[in-house]
Amino acid sequence: MTVKLLVTSGRTLTQGRAMEKGKLTSDYENAVAVCELDATAMESLGIENGETITVKTEIGEVVVKAKLNKNLHPGMAFIPCGPYFNFLLDSYTQLTGMPGFKSLPATIDAAPGAKILTIEELIQLMKEGT
Amino acid sequence: MTEHIVLKNGTIFDPMNGIDGEVMDICISNGKIVESAPAGAKVIDLKGQAVMAGGVDPHSHIIGSKLNVARLTSPESNRHHPYPATKKTRSGVAGIIPSSYATGYLYSAMGYTTVVEPALPATKALGSWEEIEDIPGLDIGMLPLFCNSMISFKYIEEGDISGLAAYIAWTLKKVGGLGVKVVNPGGTYAWAYGKNVCGLDDEVPEWDVTPRTIMTGLSEAVQKLGLPHQMHFHPTNLGKPGNVYTTMQQLDALKATKPSGKKKETVHLTHMAFDCLGVVEEGMANWKDVASGGLTFADYYNKKKHFTADLGQITFGPSMTMTGDGPFQYSLYMMSGGKAKWSNIPVDVELPGGAGIVPFTFEPKSAANAVQWVGSIEFALSIKDLWRVFLSTDHPNGGPFLKYPLMMSWLMSKKQRDIWLEKVHKFASERSTIANIDREYSLNDIAITTRAAPAKILGLEKTKGHLGVGADADIAVYGFIPEKTDLASNPDLILKYFTQTQLTFKGGVQVSKKGIVGKQLQSRVISVHPELNEDLDRRINSELEEMMSKWFSHSFSNYPVPKRYREHIEMPTVIDATSIQA
Amino acid sequence: MTEANNIHKDVPCTFCGCLCDDLIIEVEGDRIVKNTNGCPISKERFVGHMENRCLEPTVKGNTVTLEKAVERAVEIIMSSKRLLIYGLSSTENDAQREAYRLAELTGSVVDNTTSVCHGPTILGAQESGEATTALAEVRHRSDLVIYWGANPAAAHPRHIPHYIRQPGEYIKDPKVDRKIWLVDVRATTTSRMVDKFIKIEPGTDLEVLQTLRALIRGNKLDVSEVGGISIPDLEEIATTMKTAKYGALFFGLGLTQSWGRHRNIDAAIRLIQDLNAHTKWGLMPMRGHYNVSGANKTCTWVTGYPYAVDFARGYPRFQPGEYTAVDMLARGEADALLNIAADPVAHFPRGAVSHLMSIPVINIDPKFNMTSQVADVNIPAAIAGIECDGAATRMDGLPLYLRKVIEPPPGVIPDREILKMIIDAVAKEMK
Repeated sequence: MTVKLLVTSGRTLTQGRAMEKGKLTSDYENAVAVCELDATAMESLGIENGETITVKTEIGEVVVKAKLNKNLHPGMAFIPCGPYFNFLLDSYTQLTGMPGFKSLPATIDAAPGAKILTIEELIQLMKEGT
Repeated sequence: MTEHIVLKNGTIFDPMNGIDGEVMDICISNGKIVESAPAGAKVIDLKGQAVMAGGVDPHSHIIGSKLNVARLTSPESNRHHPYPATKKTRSGVAGIIPSSYATGYLYSAMGYTTVVEPALPATKALGSWEEIEDIPGLDIGMLPLFCNSMISFKYIEEGDISGLAAYIAWTLKKVGGLGVKVVNPGGTYAWAYGKNVCGLDDEVPEWDVTPRTIMTGLSEAVQKLGLPHQMHFHPTNLGKPGNVYTTMQQLDALKATKPSGKKKETVHLTHMAFDCLGVVEEGMANWKDVASGGLTFADYYNKKKHFTADLGQITFGPSMTMTGDGPFQYSLYMMSGGKAKWSNIPVDVELPGGAGIVPFTFEPKSAANAVQWVGSIEFALSIKDLWRVFLSTDHPNGGPFLKYPLMMSWLMSKKQRDIWLEKVHKFASERSTIANIDREYSLNDIAITTRAAPAKILGLEKTKGHLGVGADADIAVYGFIPEKTDLASNPDLILKYFTQTQLTFKGGVQVSKKGIVGKQLQSRVISVHPELNEDLDRRINSELEEMMSKWFSHSFSNYPVPKRYREHIEMPTVIDATSIQA
Repeated sequence: MTEANNIHKDVPCTFCGCLCDDLIIEVEGDRIVKNTNGCPISKERFVGHMENRCLEPTVKGNTVTLEKAVERAVEIIMSSKRLLIYGLSSTENDAQREAYRLAELTGSVVDNTTSVCHGPTILGAQESGEATTALAEVRHRSDLVIYWGANPAAAHPRHIPHYIRQPGEYIKDPKVDRKIWLVDVRATTTSRMVDKFIKIEPGTDLEVLQTLRALIRGNKLDVSEVGGISIPDLEEIATTMKTAKYGALFFGLGLTQSWGRHRNIDAAIRLIQDLNAHTKWGLMPMRGHYNVSGANKTCTWVTGYPYAVDFARGYPRFQPGEYTAVDMLARGEADALLNIAADPVAHFPRGAVSHLMSIPVINIDPKFNMTSQVADVNIPAAIAGIECDGAATRMDGLPLYLRKVIEPPPGVIPDREILKMIIDAVAKEMK
């Protein structure tokens, strides 16, 4: 079942440490190719913690790993700031210079066995799109 | 580079050496004024043009975080004043709060060569040294703040003037300061509690100190150290109608401090325009009854000679108020009905309540502004001894330094005053004696109040503010011949000739011609390093380490400004303060 | 400073705006082996300083000499019509000043990461001013601290333990005498470190802030809830804020990046100003990168403006939306990018990144990051605060001197030196 959610992004401790280590590490990939969901969303999607999902917005879609966050409220999802979230984000800043990092309407589907792109593959995909 | 220059046939105004409009030659060699220059020196014939020493400005807010917050929050004050780059000079903005490079160039264009930043929170000094790298063409000093510091309070509470003096000495050395600044003593500390002080003996929250004990303690410590510049004082009750009386009270309270050196004056009262508002006879201390306090204060100044003063002249138009007087700035915000952009910047330990910034426009048609405008002019024209005063606008509070020539024109030309008295609210005439004052400042008077006197007040008169042998070759050549120019009758010429010099020299190097800066010189920093005896030095280091580690939120060892930012530009004067007992 | 042998004390950290300067860094040979006092991210930054380093300059992926890389960079700059210089927040002040010099020389735009971080804070302050507080002031005096739209546990790990939940001169027991609240759209790790968590509906910060202003002014509202918070709850919040002795509002990207952008900050500023009529309050933006505050400062004193500065006319002009990096890239206006100490490919929206990938990019950074994968020219830089000195500014405006505790890898020089080389070469070309 498709779930409609508002996705927000921000820092996490894991993402911060991985970022300092290096953006091209698997640590970093694992830290940011993640979407935190609450229990009801996971139930609606019929997935377990750690399974792959597709997150889709008007701009495009990306496969990431679902992560259960019991403290997350229904209706919201969280993807750490980074290239997977930004792949879904439009560039409209309302002339303030600031894109809408904090609330991105998205639809989420279970994607069992789908492949999460590596950082390199993501870059390649964006290159091809130009 | 031309190291030897002879400026021939200038009409010299050098009051410190008793020269009032004589046609003479000035010889420059290796950055100094000398008796005679070697053969082969470059000769410039000034053909009678007026010459003064480079201007000395002991009170102008040109660096620091409150200035940067003002620029950052008010881009509109600079948007319409671009300052394009040239092949030799950097670009910037030149509104009422110019960017750093532009600040240096504009001062050079005006003939000023020494400027002092009058309010530095010492803990943030590193940033100021970085900014100084980007302000060209000047010798710059900084006055750290001490009167709302918890550390000062501890020493004052205990009556420990030696400890207080040692704290000052330590700070001046560690951050490269020039003197001691006092702003609303105890008041800005009280602002950390949302309060203020107004009476000399008001209580300061949590501490057993009062404005009186803070002020007198600090002025005594300054004298004990033998600092060349007396305590620089922004009094309590800034900007309040009737405050001329409380300012005089506060100055009276400082009379007891004994001067330790040759100078008789132990305190410098700054921006008197903001400190000396009077009230009409039988009036109340409110804006309705505000009157010029200029004559009252001039009478006081003529009688009591223990202090010096500067004007803080209002120049009308947009300005930016920024002071370490947090509660005053808040009151300005409240006066605007909460519409103004009010910023508040606390500094740990040294300025807890915080400095404040409020953009402000002085309107000629405002009764209050007109009276405040006329007050300092009336004062300047009524005092006898011009050697105890210097001209200022408290840039950018009363107006930008770019308007110094306008200020001069009001003092030099009765005609100009009459023109402006027509423009401004009638209270300026009705509530002052200005209409009856014919006095006009001569060029000699201007040279005193913009060069010689400020140099003396700062204790820099050996090398600054005069054109005698031994002085730094900081020289302003003006584009008019005094004999042939009636400035008083043609006040527009005052603005014309004093906004841009014909030539400005800094340390013997020509930096500008007709207002165009052709050479970018690195600025230097004038500072004072008081040396304490070993015992006191040991004591203060250990006591400050304890207090700072307890009170600051950063490491004690990171307080001093590192050598790497200082050694190439600092010119410290070492003072022997070893006689102060531990 | 340097103690015996290879132990450096009081070293400022160069990760986030906390700029903690109590780190003890131990160096052995050419490695940093220990970071005492730093948070986990700080430890990674220092102890892992040699991981994933770019060690050699490259052009199109091929190793070249530094001179050749600079040469190619200059070629790109000289043949561009609209160069964008970006980044700067993760390097020290001197490097930033060189960037402005280069932008002025070439008539380019220079922007820093403020534009995607606390740019709206600055825009809000440009509407209303800013009544700020300072870190030690909060520790000494504050009995009520509110984090709004911030997650210090993730982004400023030592903010609460090192600065806020600490005893001060006038608050002896920070657990009892200081209340810490969190206002956010979701419960985060931070919510477990504070005394009260207030959940707010996404995109309603502006309404809630204005509601608090109205309640503090004694107005009555004819709704029952705002932003998912009931009016009685909001009234209680307003009263508590009004009766605090010294309140501090720390706010983060939850306010700057949400619906309303700078209007949110404007409202927060006005709320704090209103509260000052009753008691003492100050606010502080939780600056992310360790020297983004410094980038604003250096840019302001050099150019007059804090970010998004254009030099096309030979003097600085400021306009968010026009000269901000995301907009310039998304609109396809920049035809070349010089990126210093940032990673726009990782942190910008897709449209902006797409365009970035179609233009020549010069990338200066200590480590391989996503931008280095697409840059034409990569020049490795020394890590400021570890391998070269400099100055940075803490979130509350305190400048701190950054240390050099270890030599950079061979041949790797500080950003400021690289920029100087580029500037000298460009100036020569322009003669």
